[in-house]
This record gives sequence, structure tokens and C-alpha cells, in this order.
Amino acid sequence: MSAFWLTYLPVAIILSSLLPGLIIFTLKEQQVKLRISLNLLGVTVKLVLVLIMWQAVKAGDIFYFSLPFLPGADLVLQGDALSLLFVVLSSVLWLATTVYAIGYLENSPLRSRFFGYFSLCVSATVGLALSGNLVSFLLFYELLTLATFPLVVHRGTPQSLAAGRRYLAYTLSGGVLLLTGIALLHSVVQSPQFIPGGYVSAAVSEHAGLLTLAFALMIGGLGVKAALLPLHGWLPQAMVAPAPVSALLHAVAVVKAGAFGIIRLVYDVFGVDGMQQLQLAQPLMLLAAATILFGSWRALAQQDIKRRLAYSTISQVSYITVGVAMLGPLAAVGGLVHLVHQGVMKITLFFCAGNYAETLGVHKIRELNGAGRRMPLTSAAFTLAALGMIGIPPTAGFISKWYLGLGAVATDNSLMLMVFVLSGLLNAGYFLPIVYRLWFLPQRGSWPKEQRLSATLETHWMLLLPMLFTAVLIILMGLFASTGVSPLSWAQLIVEREFSYD
Amino acid sequence: MIIMLLVLPLLSALLMLLWPRVAPLLALFSASSSSLLALQLLVQVTEHGSRSWLLAGWPSGLAIAWQADTLSCLLILLTTVLQLLVGFYAFATRNRDKLSQGFWPLSSLLQVSLTALWLSRDLFNLYVCLELLGLVAVALVSLSGRSAMKPALNYLLLSLFGSLCYLLGVVLLYGRYGLLDIAGLASQWQADWLSNSALLLMSLGLMLKAALWPLHAWLPAAHAAAPAPVSALLSALVVKGPLFILSLLWLQLASVQQAQAIAPLFAAAGLAALLFGGWSALRTPFAKNLVAYSTVAQLGYVTLALGLMLKFDQPLIFAALWLFVLAHALAKAACFLAVGEMSATLGGKRLTTLKGASQTMPLAMFAFAVAGGSLIGLPPSGGFVAKWALLQGLWLQGELLFWPLALVLATLLSAAYVFRVVVVAFDRADPVSPDFSPQLIPQWLALLPALAVWAMALFSETLMQLLRLEAL
Repeated sequence: MSAFWLTYLPVAIILSSLLPGLIIFTLKEQQVKLRISLNLLGVTVKLVLVLIMWQAVKAGDIFYFSLPFLPGADLVLQGDALSLLFVVLSSVLWLATTVYAIGYLENSPLRSRFFGYFSLCVSATVGLALSGNLVSFLLFYELLTLATFPLVVHRGTPQSLAAGRRYLAYTLSGGVLLLTGIALLHSVVQSPQFIPGGYVSAAVSEHAGLLTLAFALMIGGLGVKAALLPLHGWLPQAMVAPAPVSALLHAVAVVKAGAFGIIRLVYDVFGVDGMQQLQLAQPLMLLAAATILFGSWRALAQQDIKRRLAYSTISQVSYITVGVAMLGPLAAVGGLVHLVHQGVMKITLFFCAGNYAETLGVHKIRELNGAGRRMPLTSAAFTLAALGMIGIPPTAGFISKWYLGLGAVATDNSLMLMVFVLSGLLNAGYFLPIVYRLWFLPQRGSWPKEQRLSATLETHWMLLLPMLFTAVLIILMGLFASTGVSPLSWAQLIVEREFSYD
Repeated sequence: MIIMLLVLPLLSALLMLLWPRVAPLLALFSASSSSLLALQLLVQVTEHGSRSWLLAGWPSGLAIAWQADTLSCLLILLTTVLQLLVGFYAFATRNRDKLSQGFWPLSSLLQVSLTALWLSRDLFNLYVCLELLGLVAVALVSLSGRSAMKPALNYLLLSLFGSLCYLLGVVLLYGRYGLLDIAGLASQWQADWLSNSALLLMSLGLMLKAALWPLHAWLPAAHAAAPAPVSALLSALVVKGPLFILSLLWLQLASVQQAQAIAPLFAAAGLAALLFGGWSALRTPFAKNLVAYSTVAQLGYVTLALGLMLKFDQPLIFAALWLFVLAHALAKAACFLAVGEMSATLGGKRLTTLKGASQTMPLAMFAFAVAGGSLIGLPPSGGFVAKWALLQGLWLQGELLFWPLALVLATLLSAAYVFRVVVVAFDRADPVSPDFSPQLIPQWLALLPALAVWAMALFSETLMQLLRLEAL
């Protein structure tokens, strides 16, 4: 690949969603066709570019772009295997969510603004995935906060404004913590590029206290978005946002940004050696394990579909953190692959929840009785994704939990194994009753607010298609996990290439 | 060339009095040519080092001496560019706002006095510039008409009192040393009760004029009462004049012991300004007052940086001080123009008038939010760079806990008041409908400095390098 593309492809990938987004802001409300074409054009271009990058990274190319910024910390974009994992995930799911959002928001007001911020949000996520050092990461991390806030308050109702305030209070405080942590680390070791094995080990003996403090600050900052235990409060409340936004927040953008940051921090900043010398892995792992159990436990008690899904997200995202914090290669594979698998499964669940709400007006779990007959496709997709979340083969969820379990065994960590088993049971405890209601209980009276969105299908085709697409992905990622194009093989490649264990 | 920077606006101010009809054109012409000149000067000085002039061929000690170093050139460039921008804004809204004819010559005079102030290194010249600056500023505030009379009068009295204090200090020093230029004074400086009291008197006057906490009480009323373009100039530029003198006094004149002794006071005043200013910005029901209180708070960063600089003598902190000044000037100009534009179009002074503004006036609201991002210090804005430099400077000095923690708290407060406005703007349950259709050009003009403050980040490495050199 030519030197030009090795430099500018990362920039082009970010611009492919940023530019359409900026143009969309200027469009009038009625220019529906132009807006949709711009959106789809952006998505297509991005996917093509990402495909090119994927092939190049697989072949061993390294993408690198930098701009001078602070002394000792340039703005760096780099395309390595790990960043590509997140880039591919967000680009593919952006495609699905864009189609879904076009269908979901048909005829609702302020769509130009919505899709503008939507594109900004994806640009920020992709930028975050591609950023090559902590300062660049921070920049996109804050940009993500700013781009998602208008989406959370999109409806403009008092509840959504309250949720938006809460969201800001949490994420901005988290951002400040992250900034302080990064600045502190910078004052000790500067901010060089992310590098496999990390770059702090030289300073460990001299500045152990400072490094620990910086790590704690940064985990505090990232933990807000990753919804780690005491910092998760914003997430259930942000559920008032429209369904495509929740799908995006939970599966791709916000929580994953936090989780991805933790992966970078552990492997490419502190490195396995640094983590072991400073003994930071154990507390992180325990915190994440507590979050897993807490999220699952709270999910049991929720009666609102989206709220239950929200608590489930809190729990599931921490699997990634646990996988990373166990510091073993198998566990790392499990954590990384769960980043993708959880995203696909959770986005399917949110699409389904959105479909029930849009088509039947159903928001509560007890209103779902018998929905399987009225909306078989949606219910089938929901069932599939729920089984995946529990970890039943041959879904994608099974693969990630299998590797996490193997990783726990390999690192001799019986406590984590117990956490996984217990949380699996709890998952079954809050998902299976819904599945049971969908298929086996009779419908109670009429639906709260039924709409006929399609003459032949159970709901609008734009609401069905993305959901079916991601549902099929769940099966495919599970069945073909051992082939060369699966997320699993990519996660193994990352572990081999970047973490150089064994 | 340097002379043209002063003569041009002065001459155009005189011509404006003769031909009021062409005043706006003259003002725009003089501001744009001065901006070019200032840019040229900056390039020259960065390449060939700082330059000084003795006016009219008098010997040193008698002549008016000017010195242009990088910092002065940066500030001159900032002044002229903001003048130009605000001039365009006033021109674009001239039919709606009915700004009095007085605005144009006064704003040109403001430019003269500020430019001269940035160049002077002599206590008496500085006094003259300061006095002129204060009078012009008061006259500008009073342009709003009757409602602004009370704040303007208040401002006038306090400003005169401040100048008097400063002058008294100058007289004390002159009586003792027989010298006025700062470099000369510094070489003979003795730390005794006389120089102590002179320094304190001058600082008191300057702090009053710069509205540093706890002498800030006049600022919110005056800045909120003035017309939008005037408030932009006042907050962005005028308060920085006395600050500049204050930093000259303490960094170049005062002895090490004096500086060390005053440092905690400045730092504490800065912190208090951040906290109390931020808190008041959270409480006030009026949009412009919120922005004005934010000025009080943001000046706290500058005072804090000054205090810390005196304490640690760390070039990075000095760079942070002036980065704060530059970033705040651009961001605050954008904020005042945006809020002024929204209040004028939506018809009301209260914050609740901005309900739904993200929908009705998206550009102006965007400008406010973008500028607010720099006030908070989100990357990659000018405010972020300044905060970063301050944090790095503090950690280099081994100051680990207290001051960084204070900065975090201040950041959160500023985020709270900026987003207080943004959240109101996203409340679209029942948006306030505009009195007339929003104009695009003024909104774009409000957005420009906001974008500029983010673009500052691109030059941050150069800026930091240049400013650090100034501190040595």
C-alpha cells in the first residue's frame, strides 16, 4: 500500500462520517431523500475504507498519522489490529443503526439535527478507536460525550432533560478524572504512542505511587462510560432516549468507548508487566466482577424492558474488563471477542425493544405476553439474542464466555469462574421469563398502542431488516468462529501480535 | 510601522467625528489594516527577537519607550482581530440594534489605548493608557442608554478610584527612585516598606480595575448592561489591560521575597474567584449576567496562575497564564456575541428566554457551546492547552494534590454553568419563538472566535514555546 494511504486512510475513515454529518446539519427538514442518501453514502464509503484497512492490517501494514499538538504529545491516529476490531464493529453496527433510525424516526421532527449528531457520534467513536496515544484518545472521548448529549435529550421532554443532565454530570466528571490521570501520567513518562507491552515499566520502580494514582484516576474516568460499579448511575436513566440511540449508546459508542479505553490502558500503556509489578490487576478485576453480579442482580428486579436491558449492559460490559484484567492470553481473547459479540447481541435486543414499543406500544415486560404470535420475527430475534447473552451454544455469546471461562481456568482463578457461573444463572433468570412470556403465555387484552406500520410485514421493513441482519450475525459469529473472518480469529490475531505472550 | 498601529486607529477616530456617516467603514478599515500590521510585527519579533523604540528621538529616561516582545505582539494581534470581528458584528446588526454613533470612535480609541498599553514598559505611560482605557470603557458601557447609567457611573467611580491608587503608588516610587521605566527601577529596587506599600497600592488599584476577586462586584452589572459588542470587548480585552500591568509589576519589579509573600494571596484570590464566580454564574437568572460571572471566574484562573508563577517561578505556569488570557478572550467574545444575538432575537434577558434555542437559533447556540467548551477546558481547545500547561507546571514543581484538585473542582463548576445554558437550549417542550427571523451573519460572526479558540490548539506547541521563552 502506498505511503499516502498509510498516512491518510485513518483520517479518511473519520471524515467519511464526519463530513456527511456536518452537511446534514445544514439540510432542511424536508430534504429527506438527500439526507438519507448522504447517510448511506457515508456508511458505504466508510465500510469500503475499513475493508481496505482491514486487509492491509492483516497483511502487516501499519497506519500512522500525526499532527503536532502539545509538547510531547502529538495528535496521533494509528491503525493496528486492536483499533481495527473496534472500527469494524462500529462501522458495521452504524450501518444497521442508520437504517433502523431512518425507519424509527420517520415523520418525527428535527431529523437533520438527529442524524447530524448521530454521524458526529460515530466519527468520535471511530476516532477513539484509531487514536494512537492517550491525549488523542482523551480528545475523542470528550467529543463523544458532547456528540451523544443532544441524542440523549433528543425528545426534549422533562425526563429526557433530567436524564441528559445526569448523563453530563457523570460523563463530564469522568472526563475531568481522565484528563487529570492522563496529565499526571504525562508528567511522569510523557505520552508516547500506544505500544504492545506498555511504556511505563521503566518508571515503575521510581514512581510507583504516582503511576498507581494515575491508573486509578484514569480507570475512574473510563469507568463512568464503561458503567463500572459506583459510576453506572447514568445508564439506566439514559434509557429515555429514542431506541436507536439506546442501541448505539449500549452496543457501540459510549459504554464500549469506556471498555476499549480500559483495554488500551491495561495492555498498551501499563502493559502486563507494569500491571503485575504495580499489582493493579486484582482490584480492577474484583471491581468488574462485582459489577457483573450487581448488574445482573438489579436486572432481575426491573419491570421495564429497556431498563432491564440497561442493567444487563452494565453487567455484560464488565465481562470485557474482567477478561482484560485476568492478564492471561485466553482470557484476553474472551474479553476482546466479547467486545464485538456483546455489541451485536445488545444492539439486536434494543432493536427488538424498539420494535415492540413502536409497533405495539409495549414498554413493560408484563405487557409482552403473547407478542410472539403478533411479531414472530422480532420475537425470534429477541430470543436468539437473549440465548446468546446467557451463553448458550451455538450463539456468539457462547464463544466469548467459553474463552473467558478457559482464561479463568488457565490463570487459576476459581473465583472468577464462580462469578461467571453465577452471572450466567442470573442472566437466564432475567431473560428466560421474557422469552417464556413471548411464546407461551396468551395475550392479555389488546396492545397498549398498536400501529400498523406495514401491510404485509409485522412492522416497518426498515425496523425489521437491521434487526434480522444483526440476529443472523449472532448465529454466524458463533457457527463460523473458527474461520479466518470471525471476530474470534481476529481477537486471537490481536493477542498473538500485540501482547506477545507465550 | 509600529507607529502606524497607533496612528491609524487614532486618526480614524478623529475622522469619524468629522464624518459620522462613514464611521463604520473607517473603523473596519483601520481595524483590518492594524490586524495585518500586528501580524507582520508578530512575525518580525518571533524571527528577530524583541524590539524597543524611543519615541521622537529623546534620550532614554525622558522619551516614551516602547518594547515589543512576543507577548505584546500576541496581545496586539488579539486586540486588533477582536476589534475587527466586533466591528463586523456591530456593522451587521446596525439596523436592528441602533447602536449609537459613539460606538465607532470609542472602539477605535479603545484599540489605541490597549495597543499602547501592551507596548509600554514605563509606569507613567502605563498609567496614561490605563486611565484612557477606563474612561473609554465607561463611555462604551453608557451607550446602552438610561438603563446602563447606574452601572456605568459605578464603574466610572471605581475605575477612577483604582487609577488614583495606582497613580499614588507610582508617585511614591518616583519620589524615591526618580525613575519610571520598569527595567531601570528593577535594577535599583530595594525591598523596604516604601516599595511594599507602593506595590500594594498599585496592585489594589489594578485588581479593582481588572475585577479580580474580591474587588469584582462592579463587573457583572456593567458588562451585562452594555450592548453585546461592547460587553464582548470589555470582557475579552479591557480587563486584561490592568492584569498585564499587574503581572509586569510583580514578575519584573518586585523582589523575590515580595513575590513570595504575595503569591499565596493571589493564588487564594484566584481560587476564590473560580469558586464564587462559578457559583454565582450557576445562580443568576439572567443570561448575560451568567456570562459576566463566568468572566469573574475565568479571571480566577489567571490570578491563580499569577500566584503560582510568583511562588514557583516555572516558565510553564507563565505560559499557562497567558494562554488562559488568550483563550478566554476569544471564547468570551464568542459567548457574549452569541448570547447577545440570542437575547436580541428571542426578546428577553432571562436565561429561560433561551428555551429551545438549539432549534430556533442553532448557529448561535452552537457558537456558545463551542466557546463554552474552551471555558471548561475540553480538548482540543485553547482552554484545554492552558489547563494542561498549568497542570504540567504544577507537577514539575512537585505540587501534587491541592492545586490540581482545586483545578478539577473549578472545571466541574464551569462545566455546570456552561451546560446550564445548553440544557435550557435543548428544552424544546415549548420553545420561545423568535420575534423576527434570525439573521445568519451575526451568528456566524459569533461562531468565528469560538472556532478560533479551538484552532489555537493546533498552534499550541509553538505558543507554549514562545511564551515560555518570555518568562526567562
